[in-house]
Amino acid sequence: MNKAGIRWLYQELPELVQNGVLSQDCADKLQQHYGPVRTTGKTTAMLVILGTLGSLLIGLGIILLLAHNWEQFSRFTRMILSLLPLVLGQGLCLWVMQKKPDSGAFKEGAATFLSLMVGAAISLIGQTYNIPADSGSFTLTWMLLIIPLTYLMQATLPAVFYLIGITVWTGINFDSLLNVFWFWPLAAVTLPHFLWAIRRESYALRGAIFSFIAVICISFGASFSLGKFWPSAWMFIFSGLYSIFYSLGCVKAGGLTANWQKPLRLLGGIALFILAYIFTFRNVWVYGLGANPEISGTGFLLDQTIIIAIVTGAVLLFFGNIRNRNQIASLFSVVPLLVFIAYLVSARSPVLALLIFNAYLLVLSISHIRLGIRNANLGLTNIGMLMLAVLIIARFFDSDIGFVAKGLVFIILGIGFLTVNLQLSRRLRGAK
Amino acid sequence: MNNKILIRLFLCLALAQLSVPAAMIFKREMILKQGEQFKFKAAPVDPYDAFRGRYVALSLEETSVPAEKGMSLNYGQTVYALISVDEKGFAKFSGVALKPPPDRPYLRATVRYTGGDKVNLKLPIDRYYMEENAAPKAENIYRKHARRENKDAYVIVRVRGGVAVIESLYVGGQRIEDAVKAQKGS
Repeated sequence: MNKAGIRWLYQELPELVQNGVLSQDCADKLQQHYGPVRTTGKTTAMLVILGTLGSLLIGLGIILLLAHNWEQFSRFTRMILSLLPLVLGQGLCLWVMQKKPDSGAFKEGAATFLSLMVGAAISLIGQTYNIPADSGSFTLTWMLLIIPLTYLMQATLPAVFYLIGITVWTGINFDSLLNVFWFWPLAAVTLPHFLWAIRRESYALRGAIFSFIAVICISFGASFSLGKFWPSAWMFIFSGLYSIFYSLGCVKAGGLTANWQKPLRLLGGIALFILAYIFTFRNVWVYGLGANPEISGTGFLLDQTIIIAIVTGAVLLFFGNIRNRNQIASLFSVVPLLVFIAYLVSARSPVLALLIFNAYLLVLSISHIRLGIRNANLGLTNIGMLMLAVLIIARFFDSDIGFVAKGLVFIILGIGFLTVNLQLSRRLRGAK
Repeated sequence: MNNKILIRLFLCLALAQLSVPAAMIFKREMILKQGEQFKFKAAPVDPYDAFRGRYVALSLEETSVPAEKGMSLNYGQTVYALISVDEKGFAKFSGVALKPPPDRPYLRATVRYTGGDKVNLKLPIDRYYMEENAAPKAENIYRKHARRENKDAYVIVRVRGGVAVIESLYVGGQRIEDAVKAQKGS
């Protein structure tokens, strides 16, 4: 049971005992069974948030002050000025590590501040000596100097900065066929911290922020680094990636917190729907498929290896969802497999490929509606209806169907929406 | 992990964090002290960098360099641009080499594109940082100046081991900082 549930139960217990629903003995046993609720408390969470925001603002403020470029300062003054904030940040971290080794708020705040000061120092030196804007080495140097903080101080924000930084670096190196692949091992450096954080209740918020940023950064990283050899590769890369995100968002594992899963499920689900929706259009299958892949060297091998790994991972997770009988998760995570099948048939008949995805979206939306009605869940039903509506509207704009038929279908769709909602809300009210 | 070990590891990290900027400073100071001095003609314009502040972007007048025939150069490849000085005292690039030449001054650069017998280079002299309010003024001064007379803006650069550090930017024979001040006074 989740923590909020247990807390609720403990709140109810005295009343239940008083009203004779439970015996005191029974209540004690319940408490023994679930154990004490370890409250990290709202104050701790607020401390972490405020402390981190504070040091973030001060750090950014210092960077801006230095960016003004005080030309009356000599080079020596500037040298002191660029190293001073850095030393200050280091001193702060050292003090926190010695005096407050158990305070998450202090550690996160100090590490965030130091991360920014490293950037401030190398920025000011770049300014003083007019160092050219070269291929991202400024960003990469900065990132490599701060990522150890994540592990030494159990701080998540340096890892978030780092992920964003290496994504920017990969973007700058977009046209270099080999450098971009460093994105993957560089990003993997944050994985142990993430796996560690999602086991801790006090890192629930940080885990959620991290996975939100990670989904965005990995999406950009993938589009910067992969799929340059093969025009249709993007279909496999992105359907695979988002399917992995979605499935991870649905995984039930003992001893893990759950907040980190929400961004994965949300962003993964939306992206998978959009992809499947794009695949229902004819142009993707007719013009989107290029001719022969251009095969050459290490870059090609790395590219293919990573794509195969992504698709394999996605398919394995899909079978995991089937085994766990998670209907909605299985339905979402099947997309890469469908892309594979559709890709194979599209060479002979593009129409068949887009039929597959039209049928898929129909099944996806109807299952949502059905499940929503069965569980009296208005949200789920409406998501299903919305998906259905989007699909039908699209079909009616790209087919040769008469206006009367179109008009009737739209009206029927609208009535369907209203009746299902009406019935469901009636049932919900009745249940109360 | 033991807190003591963590603190020791942190001290190592702190040392690394300090040594990188220190090395950057040291390298540039050495170039400024011991590097050979050159004048490059350059045109300034004014963009902006969120982290490092305002700068005057410099585009050197000559970025196309004659290449030897049969030299195969790819985009992004590192080359060494050979520096020579013309009769008016301005530095020019007289050719490119694939290895650092032992006996001539050179600058490390990357290939942008090749066309005919020339190769266009991305040179490491591209920005000159100025005070927030001064950079746009500097660009104005240059524009006015360029309209009236011939374009005589140039940068003084120290070069050592293929790396350049800009000493100062001159417009119309005046240091840009002085020109901006003079404009303020008038």
